[in-house]
Amino acid sequence: MKKNHHALKRNLTGYLFITPQLFFFCLFLVYPIFEGIRLSLYKINYQGMSFIGLENYKALFSNPVFMKATVNTIIFVIAIVALTVVFALFVASAIFDKNAKYVSFIRGSYYIPVMVSMVVMSMIWSFLLNPANGLIPFLARELELPVVNFLGDKNLVLPVVIFVTFATNVGQAIILYIAAMIGVPKELFEAAEIDGANRRQVILKILVPSVKPITLYIIIINIIAVLKIFVVIQLLTGGGPNNASTTLMYFLYNNAFKYNQLGIASAVGVIMFIIALLLSIPQLRAMFKK
Amino acid sequence: MFKKSLLTMLGFILIISLLAACSEDNATEGSDESENGKDTVELSLWLTPQWKGVLDGSEEGADYDSFFKHAAERFSEEYDEYNVKINVEVIAGDQRDEMLNVNLNGGTPPDMFFESVFAMGDYAHRGALVPLNDIVDDEAKGDIAENYWDTVTFGDDIYFYPFSHMPGTLVYNADMLKASGLESYVGGEDEIKTWTLDEYEEILQGLKEGIPTDQYSNAFPMGLFALNNQADTWNLAYLRMFGNEFFDENGNLIVDDENGAKAAAWLKKIYDEGLTNPGAESVSSNDVNAMFQNQQLGISFTNSVLYNNLKTDMENGTINEFDARLANIPSESGDPLSFTYVTGTAVFDTGDETRIKVSKDFVKFFSSDPDLVKSSKNGVPVRTSVADLYKDENPLFAAYDQNAQYMFSFTGNVPGYSELRQVLYPELQALYIGDKTPEEVVADYQKKGNEVIEKSKADSVIFNQ
Repeated sequence: MKKNHHALKRNLTGYLFITPQLFFFCLFLVYPIFEGIRLSLYKINYQGMSFIGLENYKALFSNPVFMKATVNTIIFVIAIVALTVVFALFVASAIFDKNAKYVSFIRGSYYIPVMVSMVVMSMIWSFLLNPANGLIPFLARELELPVVNFLGDKNLVLPVVIFVTFATNVGQAIILYIAAMIGVPKELFEAAEIDGANRRQVILKILVPSVKPITLYIIIINIIAVLKIFVVIQLLTGGGPNNASTTLMYFLYNNAFKYNQLGIASAVGVIMFIIALLLSIPQLRAMFKK
Repeated sequence: MFKKSLLTMLGFILIISLLAACSEDNATEGSDESENGKDTVELSLWLTPQWKGVLDGSEEGADYDSFFKHAAERFSEEYDEYNVKINVEVIAGDQRDEMLNVNLNGGTPPDMFFESVFAMGDYAHRGALVPLNDIVDDEAKGDIAENYWDTVTFGDDIYFYPFSHMPGTLVYNADMLKASGLESYVGGEDEIKTWTLDEYEEILQGLKEGIPTDQYSNAFPMGLFALNNQADTWNLAYLRMFGNEFFDENGNLIVDDENGAKAAAWLKKIYDEGLTNPGAESVSSNDVNAMFQNQQLGISFTNSVLYNNLKTDMENGTINEFDARLANIPSESGDPLSFTYVTGTAVFDTGDETRIKVSKDFVKFFSSDPDLVKSSKNGVPVRTSVADLYKDENPLFAAYDQNAQYMFSFTGNVPGYSELRQVLYPELQALYIGDKTPEEVVADYQKKGNEVIEKSKADSVIFNQ
């Protein structure tokens, strides 16, 4: 007991230093989570709120648009995360041991879209793909090629959104992978070379296992980011056609800010939180295993 | 030891100052006493883009907030009870509900909002607005026709002070029609041309086959859009083309009948035949409006303010000049389909009696001051006195007046109209991409729409008074 007291006293300055951050962390992150859970159990309108138990959740699970949004979100998460990891691994492993200037050039090229706002990117894509006055359909018409409405075809709209989001975000993963790969001890590669391993074997047997922690990190941050996918939907497709590209975040936004259904929106938020948690737990466990 | 104590102290001071900053009392915001002994009241007025300038768009530096800034300036000078500062903010139309919902839920609604009544009716049903009965006097009742008061009355109370109205019509590129060999269908410059449905289809076919591509690159006969709820009133009008009444006497949707399905089938037909721009399911009304301005469409949608802005932009050289004229939305019966947006100001229940009182006084001031109400000529004035004053300057006022007999109420003043709007466009998207048949579209729209109306009736303070 005395020892604990002594340790506490010794660390008091440290605790005091983190107190402001902890205070704001609790105020702006922890409290809203609990408040969101509480609100999801209420029916809220301008005049007041009334407790309705799990009615909001029941309403959600019987709403086909919500189910569609859930399926779409899961498709986005799986496709974008898989594409990002595979493509970033491919690019990073192809260039990490090349000339430093060349590496910088590639790194910069892929990182530029990450720095550009998602709003700007979505508007540029909208300008390219708009079926009535977009550049690509215009050129297709001029060249008398068959015109496809990429944003209005329910089978194409998901791949288009996946591609746009992937193309915008992949730079981040490439940067992280290159940094991690440069840090892999050279001895391993030299030993592999002496043993006669080819490039493919070096990548698969040495490089990929060596950067596993980074892979896990990239998977987690991308899962969380893609779960919240919103801007590209709002600006490019508006959730359409006929809700074919609606996501959970877009559904939440519509309920919260357009239909003023705060209880329903909070319930969607809670469900998204649970999905993010469930998807992240295996990765987090693997990460902290060592 | 001293250093440690100092650090501990500094840490505490930091936390206390942060907490103090967070809990700063906001109760005095909006009103305090100034040098001349009068209290100062700070108000906010929001509006969506309407007309530019005080009296018209040709003024130097004309912008969407010019009129209200000018009115606020005059009000501040002339009002003797308080010093008044009014902050005017222009909000994008498609951001209106988001902005209002966030601010209402956060307890910081604007004091006033100038907007089309149809888009704001929900806020009256939700109990967020205060009635304005006490600022409407006999002079106003005498000068503004009964049907406008009906539009702004919810239950027994008036919630909006009507200012002007904006009749919705079609607009066509007369030059393009002429270039396509369709001179005979072109109406007069100051006329709102009425075509029969057969004539309308002939025009669309004529444009499809006749638009000279060397003059008009990438052009289509008619603008069609269903990306979101913006300008959905035209889509609602198209659904009435074959005689559907839309709402029954109880305010429920009745679009699911033979006429409703026929209208949906007609939209699908013109879309499939290439008589409209392609990709209507992912094209917005903004896109269509821009395409019309770029002379990529023969026929598009417009209202009186949009049309005036188009003319002004042509005069300013912002867009290339062409001959844009008005036409009615045709119907199978031959009678045109006509509707109007009444625009006016609502006062929000901020809970602060002083601010509500001064807001009401300001609304009454700019909605009845003989000079300021002249600005309503940018739409169509709701005041007979102003319409009479400008009828020679704007011959279209007479044409709009002529249309009034065909007017339909597109909202039915039903509760939940904002959410009801969100139900229509996904159904139209399903129609255009072939996901649903016209019959399924009107049936699903009616079912989902009536659920929204039912739910909103239960929450409406007006229905449950």
